[in-house]
Amino acid sequence: MAFAASSSSAATARYSAQSDLAFRIPSNPPKFAPYISGHTPPISCKMAATAVDKELNAEALQRPDAFGRFGRFGGKYVPETLMAALTELEAAFNSLATDHEFQSGVGLVFVSRKELDGILKDYVGRDSPLYFAERLTEHYKRHDGTGPHVYLKREDLNHTGAHKINNAVAQALLAKRLGKKRIIAETGAGQHGVATATVCARFGLECIIYMGAQDMERQALNVFRMRLLGAEVRAVHSGTATLKDATSEAIRDWVTNVETTHYILGSVAGPHPYPMMVREFHKVIGQETRKQALEKWGGKPDVIVACIGGGSNAMGIFHEFVEDEDVRLIGVEAAGFGLDSGKHAATLTKGEIGVLHGAMSYLLQDEDGQIIEPHSISAGLDYPGVGPEHSFLKDLGRAEYHSITDEEALEAFKRLSRLEGIIPALETSHALAYLEKLCPTLPDGTKVVLNCSGRGDKDVNTAINYLKL
Amino acid sequence: MNLQTLSLHHSINLPSPNLNNSNRLGFDWPLRTVRHKGFKVCSVMSRDTQTQIQTQTQTQTRKTDVLQLIDETEESLFRTGKFGRFGGIFVPETLVTCLKVLLSEFNLCMHDPHFQGELSTALRDYVGRETPLYFAERLTDHYKNGRGEGPDIYLKREDLSHGGAHKINNALAQAMLAKRMGRRSVVAATGAGQHGVATAAACAKLAMECTIIMGHLDMERQSSNVLLMKNFGAEVKSVRGTFKDAASEAIREWVGDLERKYYLAGTAVGPHPCPAMVREFQSIIGKETRRQAVEKWGGEPDVLVACVGSGSNALGMFHEFVRDKDIRLIGVEAAGTGIDGETHSATLAKGEIGVYHGAMTLLLQDHEGQILGPRSVGVGLEYPGVSPELSFLREIGRAEFHTATDEEALDAYALLCRLEGICPALEAAHALAHLGKLCPTLPDGAKVVVNCSGRGDKDIETVFKYQQLKSAQVSDGNNHPKPLQM
Repeated sequence: MAFAASSSSAATARYSAQSDLAFRIPSNPPKFAPYISGHTPPISCKMAATAVDKELNAEALQRPDAFGRFGRFGGKYVPETLMAALTELEAAFNSLATDHEFQSGVGLVFVSRKELDGILKDYVGRDSPLYFAERLTEHYKRHDGTGPHVYLKREDLNHTGAHKINNAVAQALLAKRLGKKRIIAETGAGQHGVATATVCARFGLECIIYMGAQDMERQALNVFRMRLLGAEVRAVHSGTATLKDATSEAIRDWVTNVETTHYILGSVAGPHPYPMMVREFHKVIGQETRKQALEKWGGKPDVIVACIGGGSNAMGIFHEFVEDEDVRLIGVEAAGFGLDSGKHAATLTKGEIGVLHGAMSYLLQDEDGQIIEPHSISAGLDYPGVGPEHSFLKDLGRAEYHSITDEEALEAFKRLSRLEGIIPALETSHALAYLEKLCPTLPDGTKVVLNCSGRGDKDVNTAINYLKL
Repeated sequence: MNLQTLSLHHSINLPSPNLNNSNRLGFDWPLRTVRHKGFKVCSVMSRDTQTQIQTQTQTQTRKTDVLQLIDETEESLFRTGKFGRFGGIFVPETLVTCLKVLLSEFNLCMHDPHFQGELSTALRDYVGRETPLYFAERLTDHYKNGRGEGPDIYLKREDLSHGGAHKINNALAQAMLAKRMGRRSVVAATGAGQHGVATAAACAKLAMECTIIMGHLDMERQSSNVLLMKNFGAEVKSVRGTFKDAASEAIREWVGDLERKYYLAGTAVGPHPCPAMVREFQSIIGKETRRQAVEKWGGEPDVLVACVGSGSNALGMFHEFVRDKDIRLIGVEAAGTGIDGETHSATLAKGEIGVYHGAMTLLLQDHEGQILGPRSVGVGLEYPGVSPELSFLREIGRAEFHTATDEEALDAYALLCRLEGICPALEAAHALAHLGKLCPTLPDGAKVVVNCSGRGDKDIETVFKYQQLKSAQVSDGNNHPKPLQM
């Protein structure tokens, strides 16, 4: 039951980003000719332009609203069988979000906010530092010695080496709260699978990971790692046997076993409440950044840069600052072999609106509405969709989205290793590569914070082939 | 010119045995000649009739004596570089001045608030300190007895440090020291590669040239670490053999260019001031643990457990608590395929005193004084010697040392993965393996802190092969293939 995009070009008129949200009025409104015998004057219809008159800013909008919509994106495009589970999940999430102490619940396990904070601190290793990258900053100084100051938010130091664990840990606790003992997840390269298997081991939950058969071959060690952590890894052979097929299979499993099973979605995609939930579990990144920025330079970041696959690490750092209009938010997607090559994953640049995996968002689709297989050297960015909230922020003009090729990312991978002794994940390297274009445009002393979303030990083998080490 | 042969020239210059403590220690000081590569290395101690008598009438060293010994050692350490009869500066003349300069620079930087401030910031923002003290709930439950009693097990999460091991604490601090001293390039030797990786990373950050020397056998076994070092821009040179050969080569390189180069010792071995320096820089582990223990349970740990290769992570944890005589210090060495065989690295269990790489310490040698090549599945534990300070702590009875076999370590790796979702380095897994023997002997609620000195991503292939082998053996035995026992 894959939720393929269904798009007809008429319905998906491209909306350009404007500061006032409203639905842009199509330039040729449809004409209606009502049947009046003998007399057919044309009536033209105009959609009300006054729906949103006032200057719209992010504050006035709920992200998401009660239906799980971010503007027109998001929502819950799921079969009936899942609606109850999603509602239950949302309710459990809300109670956890407002809970600071133990609360009783009939038939539910006691789980509290305090427990989550303890786990984040002692198990995951938070707070992650905000690190001043001195040599990288030097590298971007212009001839006159001016240039921005580059800081790295060190999510690479987390347990399991990426930001993914923040969400995995919280969702595992949520599942416990719901009394669910069985966890399922999908994974591409294995990062999210390993993070999920890790938390299931920690909390003693049964864990099933769906992985495309092709991916399993390429990532044999990650498969072994997941099994060592006690998870069952199931191969998915349908479709192209990659991430999107694994996702569909996982959703299928969930529909069948919804009573006993919680589905840990790895990113801010999927049906409501997932985009909101995953963002909430990652927002600690942005919150810490605000605090640390204040400590370090007594102010806020001026520019925030993050890579975008599904969009979770970016939302995690953006969310805190969305309402600070003076903070620029920049997302960087994978341009693979180049935007014109057809082999990329630059959803927000090249995609069109449709529904995928339960949410309305931009996605890479062909004229028939079939999903285009994306490509990126980094598995984590290799997703044909993107979180609905990013689609929303793009259309709102609140955040800007760019893309970086495989080659540029590899260069950035090498650059950070040589200049700072930090090996970034190839996903993160996309964000780092964008600094080459960004920094020359920034005035002296601009504070740039880049979300170093993961470490790159896993990518060294890939990189050496290209970098000829 | 290798270090061992040079010792020959200095047999006359050996510091005389410190007899002041001999009355209390009452140890047997045998005459021993240690030979390596055909050269006679200095004979170590002379027998003294007085000590012989003391041996016969020796009673157990009382705990207060132990404290006194520790304090006295600490006081004279700076000047003599000795830990009881261990340690020292057994090096050729050319290096003595260099080491003295290093010692005074080290002393200066320890008292320089600016340096300490910079180091603190780097440890916090670059390395990611403090590392958490994590209550391993499921592991604790696993070791509870039938009545639900057992110790509380905490893990000091050095695996979360940048680079994935505790090595970076020392590598970063020394690289900063080297820069401060005006040195342009760093040379280091590495066994498992963790120290090499940490050094290469620190040098990249500080814009220093970096040469890492590694034994060709090690390079094969830890090829992923070699890639990481190269990625940081370090030059990786290969020598025939393993870590001990790489260390000799690194020192040789250093001697060749004393003005420009800095030899970055990875662990608490070598001539003074290396053991003291490395221990100081690693002692942040213990300092944090003390503070965190107070926060968590308002007290001190009861038992500290750490794996021992050469001893840096163990000393890093122990040093803070060495004067707290109620706290047990337990080191776990590698027993390889078995302590009675040839393939192990249990220096403190099976070694004998001798001089190696510039220091007097226990080391694995045969009856002719030939160095025995150590072997362990935890490559970082393979060193025929051990820190002189640990030799000292063992001798005075302040610390106890046990061993764990390859198999026990591999099983401990799998256990921690399954129960806590943490993959420890195989080195650290040795310390975890000892919990099986330790926990049943401890009272209910005893606080045990295990130094989880590194993460085990680098070891996943080794564990994979081991698991395959095990399941193959099991299926062969019964003709029924069994699922992987984990």
